[in-house]
Amino acid sequence: MNFYSRVECVCVCQVMGFEVDSINSVQFSNHTGYSHWKGQVLTADELHVLYEGIKLNNVNHYDYVLTGYTRDTSFLEMVVDIVQELKRANPNLVYVCDPVLGDHGSMYVPQNLHPVYKNKVVPVADIITPNQFEAELLTGKNISTEKDAVEVMDLLHKMGPDTVVITSSDLPPRLGDRFLVSLGSQRILMPDGTRKTQRIRIEVPKVDAVFVGTGDLFAAMLLAWTHHYPTDLKTACEKTFSVMHHVIQRTISYAHEMAGPGRRPSPAQLELRMVQSKADIEDPAIVLEATVL
Amino acid sequence: MDCRVLSVQSHVVRGYVGNKSASFPLQVLGFEVDTINSVQFSNHTGYEHWKGQVMTADELHVLYEGIKLNNVNHYDYVLTGYSRDDSFLETVVNIVQELKRANPSLVYVCDPVLGDNGAMYVPENLVPIYRDKVVPAADIITPNQFEAELLTGRSISSEKDAIEVMNLLHSMGPETVVITSSDLPSPLGDQYLVALGSQKRVRADGTMVTQQIRMDIPRVDAVFVGTGDLFAAMLLAWTHLHPNDLKTACEKTISVMHHVIKRTITYAKEVAGPDRKPSPAQLELRMIQSKADIEDPAIVLNAVVM
Repeated sequence: MNFYSRVECVCVCQVMGFEVDSINSVQFSNHTGYSHWKGQVLTADELHVLYEGIKLNNVNHYDYVLTGYTRDTSFLEMVVDIVQELKRANPNLVYVCDPVLGDHGSMYVPQNLHPVYKNKVVPVADIITPNQFEAELLTGKNISTEKDAVEVMDLLHKMGPDTVVITSSDLPPRLGDRFLVSLGSQRILMPDGTRKTQRIRIEVPKVDAVFVGTGDLFAAMLLAWTHHYPTDLKTACEKTFSVMHHVIQRTISYAHEMAGPGRRPSPAQLELRMVQSKADIEDPAIVLEATVL
Repeated sequence: MDCRVLSVQSHVVRGYVGNKSASFPLQVLGFEVDTINSVQFSNHTGYEHWKGQVMTADELHVLYEGIKLNNVNHYDYVLTGYSRDDSFLETVVNIVQELKRANPSLVYVCDPVLGDNGAMYVPENLVPIYRDKVVPAADIITPNQFEAELLTGRSISSEKDAIEVMNLLHSMGPETVVITSSDLPSPLGDQYLVALGSQKRVRADGTMVTQQIRMDIPRVDAVFVGTGDLFAAMLLAWTHLHPNDLKTACEKTISVMHHVIKRTITYAKEVAGPDRKPSPAQLELRMIQSKADIEDPAIVLNAVVM
């Protein structure tokens, strides 16, 4: 079950064979990066009503829940209630949460979402995909070095999730300044009862464009690839970041072609070429390697 | 292929009707699909319970305004299906007409959902709106026999009647008409139902030609929801890929339907258990599992050119 308004993210999971039930948290003409946007939002009550319909029919059985951007605290709290109920129905349910708060030092959702994520949402999540800013906000710790990042991921594990991916950071890349550093950490329960933590680092080519929706796509693909590689975060991340790379490259090429030489592509031209990337989504060629820390 | 479809249909959280039924198959075939969800319900109304919210004509207009203000109101296709609201339907027609002014080559694929087997399942006041406003703006329509009769005011008792009704529908606007099911007797026996199609087109030399086809389709012993929506979406796709060849477009469309339905029945019976009638939840179309058939359907029936 995913609480999304991005049809494309639904589609990418579907082409990989997942049944996706989607609750659209808003219905907008387009994303808010365009010059104009118009539409309607779903209230927490309306969300509850939809879930009630699913429950009354006794089909409230899910293997995963996926959530992303929201601006509404009561909506977010309703989501948490639903996740908790679904976990009672299926204790193996995995909740994949992109804790969208902001980026590059500033928040782009209301401040009062921060304590809701920290105290209610992240504790029930199993996989989270914060960027550096969000990871710092959630833990109250700054990240200046890789050591800091590892400590922050350990703090996030303590809050609940066994899998944490810091999707982007300002840490200095070894491959040069055309790259950015992402990190991941996964706690696994060993057969002898002990816990092992695998940590990885992956350097991703920077792109000279502002994309919208890539975080949503990332979370959806991480769900898919951790499903296929549940105890191998290295491979799951290599596949996920590789898919992102293929989609983004295809999108940039198309956007530049549409915009023309010397012109900056518009938000409309920069929409992710998702449908055209089906083959890469189904079976991504690995183009990035993660190092195990 | 850079083909953009605007699909205005229902959204259900769970299951495959309306936009859920149309989006995935069109996307795997390479179409860009922009969806406007006319409703958001937990599931279709054939379940014991259903809950959700409907969109008003004003809210539809607001969404379209957003698209228009960004100057991205350029579509190759519009696809519509089930609606219960007359003002919503009229707003859809206005949008289609404006989109056609922006792109005169736009093709409007319309499933004029009114009812079946002699009974209406939408309010009566939708009939004149479909007849006088919607169908005249449409290029491809997929009525069943009951809907074809309602729209033209003529009964269908023979293949000859059906052809006359399809010609009447052509004269109302659409160049392509597919009567998706009928009571006409099939030469293959009563385990089959008859569907018919008619496509008018202009030849290279300027003359008009009409191709009419008949298909004999194996009956299925189950009630499916969402198959009409899948049919219209796939007819859009296959007429796009075979624009002057209704025979091939229909063979592909009906074949996809066959594969999806067969896979669904098998699964439903398995999940329900022996001698038990599958539930609506169990009968949801096995869409995701049918991806390969959707992408490249093996042809399982031949349409007869009349």
